[in-house]
Amino acid sequence: MTAPRSPVPTAPVAPVAAPPVPVPRVPAVAPPEAPASRRKPLRSRLGPYLLLVPALVPIVVGLGYPLVRQFVISFQEFGLAQQFGRPAEWVGLQNYVELLGDSYVWGVIARSIAFCLVNAALTMVVGVALAVLMTKVGRAARITLQVGMLLAWGTPVLATMTVWQWLFDSQYGVVNWLLAEPLGMESMRYHSWLIEPLSFYGVATVIVVWMSVPFVVFTVYAGLLQVPEECMEAAQLDGANAWQRLWNLAIPMVKPVLFVVALLQIIWDLRVFTQIYVLQRAGAPTRETHLLGTYIYSLAKEFSMAGAMATIMLVITLGLTTFYIRRMLRQEEV
Amino acid sequence: MTRVRKGGVAVMAAALVAVSACGGGDDDGGGGSGGDEVRLWLSGTDTPQELRDYLVETFEEETGATLVIEEQDWNGLVPRLQTALASEDQTPDLVEIGNTQSPTFTYAGAFADISDLYEEIGGEKLLPGFVEAGTVDDTVYAVPYYSGARAVFYRKDFFAAANVQVPTTLDEFAAAAVALQAANPAGKPNFSGFWFPGQDWYNGIAWIFSAGGDLAVQEGDQWVGALSSPESQAGLAQVQQLFSSATAAPRDADSEEPWIPFNNGESAMFSAPTWARWSIDLPECNKGVDPEDESAEAEALLAEQQACNEEKTGVFPLPGNQPGEAAAVFAGGSNIAIPAKSGNQELARDLMRIIFSAEYQTMLAENGLIPGNQDYAGALGDDVYAQAALAAGVDAKLTPAAEKWADVEGARILEDFFQEIASGTDPAEAAAEADQLISDTLN
Repeated sequence: MTAPRSPVPTAPVAPVAAPPVPVPRVPAVAPPEAPASRRKPLRSRLGPYLLLVPALVPIVVGLGYPLVRQFVISFQEFGLAQQFGRPAEWVGLQNYVELLGDSYVWGVIARSIAFCLVNAALTMVVGVALAVLMTKVGRAARITLQVGMLLAWGTPVLATMTVWQWLFDSQYGVVNWLLAEPLGMESMRYHSWLIEPLSFYGVATVIVVWMSVPFVVFTVYAGLLQVPEECMEAAQLDGANAWQRLWNLAIPMVKPVLFVVALLQIIWDLRVFTQIYVLQRAGAPTRETHLLGTYIYSLAKEFSMAGAMATIMLVITLGLTTFYIRRMLRQEEV
Repeated sequence: MTRVRKGGVAVMAAALVAVSACGGGDDDGGGGSGGDEVRLWLSGTDTPQELRDYLVETFEEETGATLVIEEQDWNGLVPRLQTALASEDQTPDLVEIGNTQSPTFTYAGAFADISDLYEEIGGEKLLPGFVEAGTVDDTVYAVPYYSGARAVFYRKDFFAAANVQVPTTLDEFAAAAVALQAANPAGKPNFSGFWFPGQDWYNGIAWIFSAGGDLAVQEGDQWVGALSSPESQAGLAQVQQLFSSATAAPRDADSEEPWIPFNNGESAMFSAPTWARWSIDLPECNKGVDPEDESAEAEALLAEQQACNEEKTGVFPLPGNQPGEAAAVFAGGSNIAIPAKSGNQELARDLMRIIFSAEYQTMLAENGLIPGNQDYAGALGDDVYAQAALAAGVDAKLTPAAEKWADVEGARILEDFFQEIASGTDPAEAAAEADQLISDTLN
């Protein structure tokens, strides 16, 4: 349901133009403005922008400088020797050609995109489901859920990774013990979860989804609270069952929220690093389990290659998210 | 009203800028200027506390400046050094670095030239392989700190129960491990004759070296992976046999802390640097002493505990192909160097001289670490551990002194390779792949 809106809402003149009543006011409103803007054009226009400067400066320095530097380095040959003072020479697109001509790199890119999409989808499904659950349960259950989520989300990543590692340890891990003792699957007692790449990604997905769901739950829950009760009741009176009310009424109303959250999940899951890195150190075959984040890190001393790979990753991220951003902007306009 | 508001904003902006400028000023003032403090970075826990205290005291006596020792974790050491050594504020004044990582940093120009100091601190008597790892074009940048060869620790009672003798050749060793695994004297379901995790290349390469093979060789000015050579393949065949029938260690574990399953009674033998003797802690010998307790009784109990542990465990150097010779095991150890960007070059050299003094080198030896200066290796002592260390150290080999060897280690190529061998992959296939990766990385 979209309400037709005038396509050009701009300066103070517009709201005066639409309804006919205030027309006589126009001559009264306009003149004081015009002389003011003609006398001091620069000051009144620059004022708001000057207020933005303190916020822009840290962003430019903190985010812009590394980005520019990474971009510049990717066109040079910059290794450990250059770090210690030797001059760097310009090699143009050679780093990019080397990376994009390597089939292993394409494998890493494909795996990363697949991992990102699977994880983002799972996180969204589980997150929305839990958010809907939270709207339906009583106070005690809801607070328990919220506290649990907050703990899962707020605990530092490395601390949780240590615990997950212990859980899935092949010799002394709890998961293996649970499968072997109470559930009787003796062959799983010393099973190694990380040695096969697919099983490795399975464990990584469990961990990443577990860590990402709380954010989705909290955000979507806040969105769902905005759905007006009267609409839902009206739908119920019209004969819609719970699932139809959810799918056809509540979800479309929180679509902007869902879009933003999905977008963030995709960006974060594409550049996942900590979980993969720690799991690799815990015993996985490193080369076969590299995703974009850990692969760039592994190009450690070849700073120029790492820079080129990071720029490629940036392009991929933009590619994946353009679709979403355009849909989001179109949604807002309409 | 607007004028007051704008004036207020201007004042606020000025105040903010002033405050941030003050903050910046403080940071610069406090940290990096040279002054009287010299920082030494030691890696891991290998240097005992007693030696660290000695260094701090002696340094203060001799130079009047204070020495601060900061311990770094072996994990992630290389990335940390990459950033720290390149920055004048953050660089330590003396740094311990693994011998396998030395060539990379030396080639990169991270260290100061200490060729003039070389003769003074020992010259020819310094461990040659380590000096090579720290030398470029006849200029010495890094010198050996300590070395430690690996030896095999074993449970005497398990050997007796399985009727196995201490092996004198590599073949006998394999047979002993298989026999122990089959006999399973401890009755544990996942008992290993020899603790050999899948990613343990530090131990695995002993078989490659002993068969006459190598990890990479230099042909002209190119480095080529040598895992596919016939000698290496012969060694790897033995390794694969051990993986399949002499060990139940997980294929995804690495060489860290092999004494833990040993202490749990889950393995009869394990291979580790000889200072691992201090980590052996069998349940039947444990006196339950609180580690924080520093009283005399606690020390006496600990001594008793250690004696009991050493009675029950024996040690022998991994035997070679013929009886009486030791296998060519991996020469673990560290080099020490002065970062080029340090602001305390003179004081760092003084500290270097103290480290290479007779007293300190002797102290290293007394604590089971083979000192950089081989003359003092005799101080290792006469006990079984010292003899094993010396015997193993004689033929011990280093990883190739290639400029980019640290990248091979960083990419964990050898861990992945040995994991493949442990999983039953054909050694020739796995070696061909690994050789390609090694060659690509080193050149």
